[in-house]
Amino acid sequence: MKRIEVKLSVSVVAPLLDVLKGLAYEASSEDQKQAPRDIDSEFRDAWNQELLEHQKTDMDVLFGLFNEQFFVDGSIILDPTNAEPVLRASAMLRLRLRETVLGDINDEDLEAGQIHLETLPDNVVRAFMGYLFLATIQELVIKHIEGKSDEA
Amino acid sequence: MIIPLAKSNPSTETQVAVQTQLSGSWKVVVLNDPVNLMSYVVLVFRKVFGFDESTARKHMLEVHEQGRSIVWVGLREKAEAYVFTLHQWHLSAVLERDEAY
Repeated sequence: MKRIEVKLSVSVVAPLLDVLKGLAYEASSEDQKQAPRDIDSEFRDAWNQELLEHQKTDMDVLFGLFNEQFFVDGSIILDPTNAEPVLRASAMLRLRLRETVLGDINDEDLEAGQIHLETLPDNVVRAFMGYLFLATIQELVIKHIEGKSDEA
Repeated sequence: MIIPLAKSNPSTETQVAVQTQLSGSWKVVVLNDPVNLMSYVVLVFRKVFGFDESTARKHMLEVHEQGRSIVWVGLREKAEAYVFTLHQWHLSAVLERDEAY
């Protein structure tokens, strides 16, 4: 993957970051259910702890994209060193949004993007925009990892 | 089936029991979730298991359409490592004993 610079609208993205940061470092009850059921409690704790630490590292990389430069001109840099952590952190945040703020929206509507924003409270609208924003970042990174950027 | 080797030694019994429980062949099963992008799941399968594009896509479609796909079968320790890696990528994955073994 080559280094790519992406220009974003600060006024659109900055409010979404606040929503995402609020969820980023919380332990999820879903995550805690992930370890195999037949392992002992010590192994289970170690499993969950290591996942949490890994998750925190990925989150730091994702939010590191939105540095001073981003707030100056809206640019972020994606490169081989941050691509995979950004993908994982985005996946985690989308799952977290799904299980919290977007929990009342059914799967089919969410998958198809068939959401009537005007009927939803502001916090849900912002969460949905964050959900879409993260998917866009993921698609962009995947295209470049796979070397398909010319098709975009 | 758990067969203790030495009835007079409880710790040996326990060790054998644990080994027997975990021995044999285990399946790594990825479960569907309504959130992760199809392209993301394909990428993860390629990275974690070294699948080619068509194999990764086949497993992704199985997950999407049937709710689950067996992506690897083998020894418990390696299966655990794969499940852990899939969890790091935030895919829903579980271990199941391979009854066919």
